[in-house]
Formats: sequence, structure tokens, C-alpha cells
Amino acid sequence: MQDRPTSVELLEAAADFVESELVPAIQGARQFQARVVANVMRVVAREIKLEDPLVRNEVKALAHLLGHDSPHLHSLDDLRAADVKMGEELTARIRAGEADDGDWRQNVLAVVRRSVEDKLRIANPRYLENDIAIRNSREED
Amino acid sequence: MEKIEPDEMVSRLTAFIRGEGHFDSVTIENFRKMPGGASREIWSFDCAMDRGGETSRRAMVLRRDPGAHNISTNRRHEFMVIRAAFEERVPVPEVFWVSEDPAVLGSAFFIMERIEGETLARRLLRDDTYARAREVMPTQLAEILAKIHRIDPVKHKLDFLAEPGDNAALTEVKRYEENFRRLALEPHPAFELAFRWLLKRVPKTPRKTLVHGDYRIGNVIFGPEGVRTILDWELAHLGDPMEDVGWMCVRAWRFGNDQKPVGGLGTRGDFFRAYEKASGTNVDPESARFWEVFGNLRWGIITISQARTHIDGFVKSVELASIGRRTAETELELLNLIE
Repeated sequence: MQDRPTSVELLEAAADFVESELVPAIQGARQFQARVVANVMRVVAREIKLEDPLVRNEVKALAHLLGHDSPHLHSLDDLRAADVKMGEELTARIRAGEADDGDWRQNVLAVVRRSVEDKLRIANPRYLENDIAIRNSREED
Repeated sequence: MEKIEPDEMVSRLTAFIRGEGHFDSVTIENFRKMPGGASREIWSFDCAMDRGGETSRRAMVLRRDPGAHNISTNRRHEFMVIRAAFEERVPVPEVFWVSEDPAVLGSAFFIMERIEGETLARRLLRDDTYARAREVMPTQLAEILAKIHRIDPVKHKLDFLAEPGDNAALTEVKRYEENFRRLALEPHPAFELAFRWLLKRVPKTPRKTLVHGDYRIGNVIFGPEGVRTILDWELAHLGDPMEDVGWMCVRAWRFGNDQKPVGGLGTRGDFFRAYEKASGTNVDPESARFWEVFGNLRWGIITISQARTHIDGFVKSVELASIGRRTAETELELLNLIE
């Protein structure tokens, strides 16, 4: 067990320094790269916080979609492996045309959308919020 | 690739230009690397060239391969396409010299005129300076695109451009599917759904023209008055001109300005009408939609490819690495378009 600060606290401290001290002090290509560095650190911090619950939900949803029993897995490595394996099964079934139309297509679209949204919750939550706002405003039109 | 320090680059470049242009002497100043350019290095410099007691000065740009790359393109071919566009009065930089000899600068490169101006799309979409540019650019971009699609590849000896066969749309989808299967490191069900959607809707392509292949506001140098020049011709090929129209509508180039689908600047309808007027051909909305979906998918596959360039160690770069996490943005847009 490590002492405080936690990994997330350390990353956020580093990202704050890069953003508020480093970026204003440099120019051009390096300044752009420094912004990217700060963003990467924020992505990793969100991943440390969110990955476990998100991958658990995704494994459950994929198992249900594919007609499997929900696997009883505990370690994150096992969950990731099960996630990839079922993802491959799903893509094979899409390629075979099983999701071209019908009820199953709607279920596939819902699960795939949830997975993509979960990736954005870590990689770019603002993009996801904007997208949801745009879709809501279209529905009001 | 051989690592060459900037001072060494300057002395080699000086000798190269002197030889190519038969100058008595050449002086290079203000040699510096430009920001951006995820796939190619861009160096800016000022060049003074003496011949027979007369000195000419030009602002120049060097575009160089960074080394091995997942999507390899050819600098000489890009050079020749830009020259053809220049001769047909498309706004492009004048190109001067090209070399594929690694002994000169370590990898292939060409040298062209430097056009001053802004390239950051975010500034175009937000700064007051560019209010006028925002108004005129959708029409300008449609008119320039129509001009590009009129360039005769035979006249300009662009016979190296790949021949797309009977159906350019199907050829492109298959090509990017092959790239995707080779490069993706994990399952991407959203992309699989998009490939199924596209394969069921492949348009018949009535026209076959030169296609710019990367026509988006990020590849435009602009000023407060509007478009100054069109850059990045490395993906030019023969195909369906609607491919460029669809690519212009890809979500990633809107930078959040989603109520204006064409580069965050204008509506599809206005852009299509301006293109129709300038080209004298019709834009079929179904075909444009096909190419917009394809464009988003293609950008998604490019994000995977850019991440692989880092992961495989061809070019180690935090920028390329971070692009791997942008794939999901494209996946979300594809779901929005095909549901």
C-alpha cells in the first residue's frame, strides 16, 4: 500500500503544473505538445478512477447481448480479457450480417453506444456532453 | 532514420539548393521547425539566392518525411500534383525542388513557397479577425474544389495516381477496411456497423476526377479576407469527387461548431449549391451522405493508424499516442449517422 498522494492526486498535480506554469512559458510546437501532455495526464487520471466500474458494466452488457451467462470475474485483467473476447464475438456477428436489421440490431446499437460513451467518459467527457446536448436539442426541434 | 541536427540540415540544404538551381551562392536564414504536422515535418526558412550578381529572396518551406510511417506516401508525387494545381490556378504554394535521395536530408522532402497566414481552425471559427473569412470561405472552398476536380491528370502526366477501377467508392471502402483490419489492436463494433452500412449503400460514381483526398479547413492557409492556399496534397488520387465533399463535412473538422457541418463554417445545402454552380454538376445528397459516413470512418481509422505509428515505434510522439484515444469520438458520430 502506497502513501498519499494517490496516483490520481499525483497525476493531477503534474497536469496542473504543465498547464499553468509550463504551457504559458513556451511557444510553438513545444507549447502544443505540452498541452497534449497535460491532457494525456488527465485522461489517465480519469481512467484510474473509472475503468473498473465501466469495464464491469460492459462485460455484463456484452454477455447479456450475446446470450452468455454473466461471468464471475474479479481481477481487472480477467475482466479486460473477457471484454475483448466478447467484443471479438460481437464484431464477427456484425460482419456476418446478424445486426443488419431487426430487434437484435437495436440491442447491438444500444450496447455499442454505451461502450463508446464509456470510452469518452475517460478520453473526452466534454465531447460526450456536447454530443448529448446536440442530440437533445435536435429532438426538441 | 539518420538524426541530423538543424545546423547540419541548413548546410546540406544550402548545397542542395545551390546545385538544383545552379546558383553561385545560397544563404539560408531563420531556419526553424513549424508546429503541427503529425505525419510530416515542416521547416520554415528564408532563402537568398545569387546568380550572375543578382540576388533573389524567397520565403520557403521544407516538407520532409519523418521516417517510416504506417501510411506511406510519395513526396515526388505530392510535388507533381501541387505543380499541376498551381498551373491550373488553384491557390497552392509554388513548388521548387524535390528529392528522394536519403543522402541529402535523411529522408524524402520537397521545398515550396511559404505562404503567410493562419492555419489554426479554432482561430478561424472563434476570432473576430476572421469574421469576414467565415462568411466567404464556404463559397470559396466550394469554388476551389470544383477547380481541383477539373484538373486533367493526363495533361499533367499524373499517371502515377492509382486507378480506382469501375467503382471508386467500393475501392475506397475496401482499401480502408484492409487498413483497419491490419492496424486495429482491439475490436471496434461501431466501425463494423459502419462498414456494413456503407457496403449496402455504395453509390454508382458517374464522374471520375482528381480527388484532393484531404480537403478540410485544417489544410487551408487563410487570412482575414479568406482562403490563401490549399495544403497537404499527399493523399491525392483518382476517384469520386463527392469524396472530397463528404470529407469536408466530417465532424472532427467542426471543432465543436456542430450547427455548421461544413468545417464549422456553413451548412451542407449552401456548400453543395456553391459547388454545383461552380462545377456545373449535381450533388446527389445520398452520395454526399455516403461519403460523409465514409469520411468519419476514415478519420477513425487514421486515428488508429497514427497511434500505431507511435506504438510500433516508427515515430515516438505523445501527440500521435494521444490521438489513439480520439477514435471513440468518431465512433460516436458514426452511431449518430447510421442509427
